[in-house]
Amino acid sequence: MGGLQKKKYESGSATNYVSRNKARKKLSLSLADFRRLCILKGIYPHEPKHKKKVNKGSTAPRTFYLLKDIRFLLHEPVVGKFREYKIFVRKLRKAYGKAEWSGVERMKENKPVYKLDHIIKERYPTFIDALRDVDDALSMCFLFSTFARTGKCHVQTIQLCRRLGVEWMNYIIDLRSLRKVFLSIKGIYYQAEVLGQTITWIVPYQFAHDHPTDVDYRVMATFTELYTTLLGFVNFRLYQTLNLVYPPKLDGQGEFNLKSECEEDYALESESYSEKLSALSASLARTVPLVEDEEAEPDHFPAEGEDLETMEAREKIELEQNKQKKLFEGLKFFLNREVPRESLAFLIRCFGGQVSWDKSLCIGSTYDETDEMITHHIVDRPTIDKQYINRYYIQPQWVYDCVNAKILLPVEEYFLGVTLPPHLSPFVEESEGDYVPPEKLKLLALQRGEKPREETEEEEEGDEEEEDEDDEEEDDQSEEEDEAEDEANLAEMEEKRAQGKRLSVKVTPGKVKQENRMRTEQEEKAEEKRLAIMMMKKKEKYLYDKIMFGKKRNVREANKLAAKRKAHDDANKADKKQNKKKKC
Amino acid sequence: FFCTIMAAVRRHKRVAAAQPGFLPVKSSLDGNSSVIKPRKRVNKNKKKSWNKFSDIQDVEEFLDDVRLQERATGGLISEKTDDSLFFVDTGETDEKDTQARKCKHSKPLRIDLILQPDSHIPAPKNILAFQQPNAKKQRRISENAAKLAAKGVLPRREKLLQLRRAAAASGVSVKEHPVANNNPDRAFYDLWSAGTPETADPYYLEQTKKKLVKRPDRLNEKPSVLPAIEVIAPGGSYNPDFFSHQDLLREAHEVEVKKQKAEEKLARQLAVNEDKATEVQPLTICYGQISKNLQVKKCLLKAERQVIDKQQQLFQLRSIHTSLKKQEQRTKMRQAQRKAQQEAQKSMPRRLSRLKFQTPDLDVQLSDELASSLRSLKPEGSILKDRFKSLQKRNIIEPRERARFKRKYKLKYSEKRAFREIE
Repeated sequence: MGGLQKKKYESGSATNYVSRNKARKKLSLSLADFRRLCILKGIYPHEPKHKKKVNKGSTAPRTFYLLKDIRFLLHEPVVGKFREYKIFVRKLRKAYGKAEWSGVERMKENKPVYKLDHIIKERYPTFIDALRDVDDALSMCFLFSTFARTGKCHVQTIQLCRRLGVEWMNYIIDLRSLRKVFLSIKGIYYQAEVLGQTITWIVPYQFAHDHPTDVDYRVMATFTELYTTLLGFVNFRLYQTLNLVYPPKLDGQGEFNLKSECEEDYALESESYSEKLSALSASLARTVPLVEDEEAEPDHFPAEGEDLETMEAREKIELEQNKQKKLFEGLKFFLNREVPRESLAFLIRCFGGQVSWDKSLCIGSTYDETDEMITHHIVDRPTIDKQYINRYYIQPQWVYDCVNAKILLPVEEYFLGVTLPPHLSPFVEESEGDYVPPEKLKLLALQRGEKPREETEEEEEGDEEEEDEDDEEEDDQSEEEDEAEDEANLAEMEEKRAQGKRLSVKVTPGKVKQENRMRTEQEEKAEEKRLAIMMMKKKEKYLYDKIMFGKKRNVREANKLAAKRKAHDDANKADKKQNKKKKC
Repeated sequence: FFCTIMAAVRRHKRVAAAQPGFLPVKSSLDGNSSVIKPRKRVNKNKKKSWNKFSDIQDVEEFLDDVRLQERATGGLISEKTDDSLFFVDTGETDEKDTQARKCKHSKPLRIDLILQPDSHIPAPKNILAFQQPNAKKQRRISENAAKLAAKGVLPRREKLLQLRRAAAASGVSVKEHPVANNNPDRAFYDLWSAGTPETADPYYLEQTKKKLVKRPDRLNEKPSVLPAIEVIAPGGSYNPDFFSHQDLLREAHEVEVKKQKAEEKLARQLAVNEDKATEVQPLTICYGQISKNLQVKKCLLKAERQVIDKQQQLFQLRSIHTSLKKQEQRTKMRQAQRKAQQEAQKSMPRRLSRLKFQTPDLDVQLSDELASSLRSLKPEGSILKDRFKSLQKRNIIEPRERARFKRKYKLKYSEKRAFREIE
């Protein structure tokens, strides 16, 4: 064959990709080191579009990296440090083998270490880029801080993760920017808003858990290494923006409060200090002292590209947020031993409340159980022995639900021994027509300021009260939406049934019904619509029916679910009645 | 030395033989000795001929004697004083003198005096012993050191020694250990501050590796559009609402049903049905040999049919129209489907390694496992596993399984002798 003919697999995508082993050999690193380097630098494997071309004819699944990425990796100074470390390990092993203990000590002192600062700077050139990636980092840090300090992974890493997690929580408390919280079976999800970025992270429960065996710990440890560095720098910058001292120090007042108690219990002063910080019960010291102004009303200036409406909407949101930040202001909480202390302390402090716990539980409790000013005592037991009069004894779900609802919910549903209402997820956005659980409807009603009608003591009336409430809410909704006529019908039917139970047949003088003008107008419109529909041609009617069918699908499903829920609730109530009868 | 003596002897022999009036040793004993040959004239202008024909033996002897005296006896004996050579032996001894000087000034022994080297010729210097190959360099170094010391600059050793002394006094360790990355007390600084702009030449910085290589922009794109944290469905709450919990259960149930169906399918395919006897399919022998005439006829018929069809198409316009519309619809639908699939593909995990991505099991608690209170909640699933799977889903790492321990050689079991005896 002539020499000028193009050979296969010599150009194009076949030369753009390189397999993992070839890449590793090019960098002359071991596989573990190569993986670590890729994770630290943010080099990801790619799936080529035409695998056969890249794999030189075979379709065996392989891991491919872009050749340009690997060439970029060759310039990384950390690669040299990896090689140094390998040689260090070799020398150390030799010294151990020869039993040269002085040599071993000397070498351990001079262990080669590497820093990741330049990598962070390179991957996240601006601070906002770093903030976007911080929720992954946070989850990893909180996860690692719950690990047992057995030595399987470096204890130093666990300690560093704990420190960074505590710093972050203190920052959020100071900024008061927590928005949503969700207790799930996996862990606790939090969502906060920092410098315009919405950050979601998950914190595992503090109970001991088994570690799954099919997770690669080395990989996770490398990620944690990268993320701890990132989080550290982010924390520093965030503290700077709020004029707080970094590394964080407790405020003079707070420190004084905490110092008086159990100083002798902790051997190391540094340890006790870090524990006090992690207690989250005191505020942080500032570099520039805060001046308490009177709240001046911000001037109304529309931002660029906004018209009056959006500006007003934005201001409304800001006002609501400001109101939300002071949710627990003025309230004093006391946490019993069995509730998750850290999570609750974090939440309560985030919204301006004061919190404390038993002294023997953890360092940092500010007041005792016997304090008279405590307004809410959070307990998770079925009963409690000693009860003070002027405080509420509630279950911990109340705090979480209040935070999600952004208002102080009525405490009656969360008393000890009461079946709690379900804990709804704040991360679900229901669109119109979707099924909305009645608890959420109640919540929305409460938020709007409508108070539920007072419950009478008779249980039978209690039944229809619920239905009446539903009916009211449903009525409100049906006035807004034309397509919710079906719901209204359902409610009306139930009301009729209830009234049938309640009212005995009587003849009463007629009452003058006041005409609701709005109602009559709407009724006229509805009549016109019905006429127009009747006058449509067959084909058009067919199309119209089809469209309507599609639109009403959601509504129909919602109604089905509502009916099911009612049936379920009725069944529950019937069971309760039977139980009560049995008792009596 | 020896050679010159020998040369002189040789010269002596040659020279002596040529001189007139010299009686040779081997003189002829016959009477021819009265005939004296005429002396040959020689030219002593050149070194060679001078050396051959002149006799310097007497001078050499004298000079040798002088040198010997200088070497051995400490100068010419003729120039020495009488006192150094001779002493007058009077036979008396000065006892007074000797007693006075005994203690303080004891004279050196005579034998020591005799043995003192008094030669005028000094012993030759051993040059090799004094040779230093880099004498110049060392001299230069010492001069520089002297200059610096004069200025007051301490050499490195002294500086370090002083530092060490100061550190030992104050109790701080001198060695600057670089802080490890995962040290819990490590300090952070403002990484994103503007800092001092680089003043050095960019080429210099590049060549000395002080400036890092620019990161390609392609690496700043995220490999997946999925968010980092995906919040669990509302049915995953610890105290869930009834319907959302049922939805979640239904999803988990569907996954299980799918798995079961796949298993059943596999079992069905593998099941051997022994009732049905294997039917032998009769072989249809195809007579493909059609005669040529028939073929030609077929072609003609086909052409005719085509012409007729074309004409008839005029009347089939409506049906053609509808079929075209249907085709267009189909293509549009397919396009939409393909686009939707492409969008879905973006959020699907890529196939990055030998193993396929296994979606993690849904974390769901059954209705009887639901906790009645936060205290009695038993957490489901592991966040570690969840994070690991999330990283794989977002194409950040490739799916990997744990490396199994493969034995190179088979294990052999043998009983110890003691155990064998028991049996």
